[in-house]
Amino acid sequence: MPDTARLRAEDLSAGYAGTPVLDSLTAAIPDGGLTAIVGPYACGKSTLLRTLARLQPAGRGQAVLDGKAIHRQSSRSVARRLAILPQTPAAPEGLTVRDLVARGRTPYQSALWQWSRQDAAAVARALELTNMTGHARRPLEALSGGQRQRAWIAMALAQETGILLLDEPTTYLDLPHQIELLKLVQRLNRETGRTVAMVLHDINLAARFASHMIALKDGRVFCQGPPAEVITEAVLHSVFQLPCRIIPDPLHGTPHVIPA
Amino acid sequence: MTWTLRFAALSVQISRRALLAGLCLMALLLAAALLAVQTGSYPLSSGQMAAVLQGRGTGIEQMILLDHRLPRIAAALGAGAAFGLAGAMFQTMLRNPLAAPDVIGFNAGASCGALAAVILTGGMMLAGAIAGAALAAALVLLLSWKDGLAPGRLILTGIGASLTLTAAADLLVSRIDPQTASDMVTWLTGSLHSRGWGDAARVWAGLALLAPVLWRLHFPLARLAMDDGIATGLGLPVSGLRLAVAGAGIVLTALAVTAAGPLPFVAFAAGPIARRLVPGGKPALLAAAAAGALMTLLADTAARMVPGVQLPAGVFTALTGAPVLLWLLLAHFRKGTL
Ligand SMILES: Nc1ncnc2c1ncn2[C@@H]1O[C@H](COP(=O)(O)OP(=O)(O)OP(=O)(O)O)[C@@H](O)[C@H]1O
Ligand SMILES: [Mg+2]
Repeated sequence: MPDTARLRAEDLSAGYAGTPVLDSLTAAIPDGGLTAIVGPYACGKSTLLRTLARLQPAGRGQAVLDGKAIHRQSSRSVARRLAILPQTPAAPEGLTVRDLVARGRTPYQSALWQWSRQDAAAVARALELTNMTGHARRPLEALSGGQRQRAWIAMALAQETGILLLDEPTTYLDLPHQIELLKLVQRLNRETGRTVAMVLHDINLAARFASHMIALKDGRVFCQGPPAEVITEAVLHSVFQLPCRIIPDPLHGTPHVIPA
Repeated sequence: MTWTLRFAALSVQISRRALLAGLCLMALLLAAALLAVQTGSYPLSSGQMAAVLQGRGTGIEQMILLDHRLPRIAAALGAGAAFGLAGAMFQTMLRNPLAAPDVIGFNAGASCGALAAVILTGGMMLAGAIAGAALAAALVLLLSWKDGLAPGRLILTGIGASLTLTAAADLLVSRIDPQTASDMVTWLTGSLHSRGWGDAARVWAGLALLAPVLWRLHFPLARLAMDDGIATGLGLPVSGLRLAVAGAGIVLTALAVTAAGPLPFVAFAAGPIARRLVPGGKPALLAAAAAGALMTLLADTAARMVPGVQLPAGVFTALTGAPVLLWLLLAHFRKGTL
């Protein structure tokens, strides 16, 4: 367990009024890695991601960013280092892609510093990276699910943070678009050196793209490590209650789950 | 199309659409003001007006224009702008077009507070209105808050509070000495009848004092309109901002109610009108202020144009605003979001 990682959960308990979800959870998001968080429905994946990003209060324990409890740091300074895309983000009607992406610059702006040249450059870069430049003027509600998802990711990218958290970025996407999006995330991780952690439903895709995996069960870390260590018949049986065989993916060599 | 103005490290953005909408609304306001100055039980021609302004008018013309019409128009514009701003701010912050201060009882709270202050101290209407609106807002929002504001719960709680507080205001009026009471009764229906320079000055001074605050809040408010998770993720202090926006909105509501009474539906309709004129998911506060001012002035002018009776402006804002509310509620029902 690298306790030098920039983003960590230390003995973290969190949840909602009357519903404890995370139970003394300790985990680290490896720097420069692409971490996939997996687990069955309602096991606390979103809660973990949201608490790590100070969107939700921590009960006992703490979420640590750069050596300090994230909940005790200035939210604006956190937003320059860590960006999060929640599971089902909402935007007001009529917002265009460019305006949405521009909002990613909020932590660098104020009423007097509304639009610096760096802001313009960061937004252009984010649109370019996500292949959304051609759609910049369109309102969000006029886009397909995949385009909308890319627009939201572009917003998080425009924040230009070293750490990027994504909660199920592939929901509502068909397989080709899921692959396209995960390839984009992988490129961001490899080319720009961003630390990425994301919640993913599809275990096979998680195993293929992630460099590190965290398997959650009932608000605790069941096991974590490289995909080859996490994706085993025993783990899948205890975490997902899924009897299965694991074979190497013929194209990529990563572990591939064949449900029995 | 957006222009960026830069000065050293400072930069401000202006969208062409917002500028155009603003100019159109200004032109309409000017036209409405000209109409309002001339019409009434004693019509004034442009020639007569010019004469008065140059100090050559007859005594009666001078009195009508300078002591009655101009202050009344100024009060209508100020109160309308304050209503429009307050409505757009609450609607944007609570992400709910029904969450306007007049629909969910803050106006009624402000009038109760103002009346209570008059009874207790003989004055202090504005302070009373602020306290009343704040209490009503706290009550309604606390009662309807549960993991956010569901439109249905908000509208039911708000209408309940509105009815209760309106009844309470009627009760309070009966405790005021008969002389002031008759004035207060007209005021309570939402009227600008017999407003003087003092009233106009108070609401405009309030607006001027709040202007820098509103300008400062405008920027984060646009981002607060997304969900809380996004706003926090972008580094905004969500709870503090909510408090600041609610505080400013309550003072604006109180200013407007003190000047024009609990005029219904201006705050409610101004925001949606502004957002239609300035699309792009922005709160469009300036356009909302202008739309509110225009609605209030037109309603007051219409009220003055009906011969023979003293109609309150509230009748006309209700006639135009209530159908819009119905339409919005029906739309919510159809979408199943109530
Ligand atoms: N806003 C909330 N209020 C109360 N309980 C909640 C809330 N959000 C989630 N929960 C509960 O917390 C538990 C964990 O939820 P969480 O969203 O973290 O699960 P998840 O692993 O992300 O699930 P999914 O795969 O469905 O997204 C669930 O039992 C859920 O019902
Ligand atoms: Mg989830």
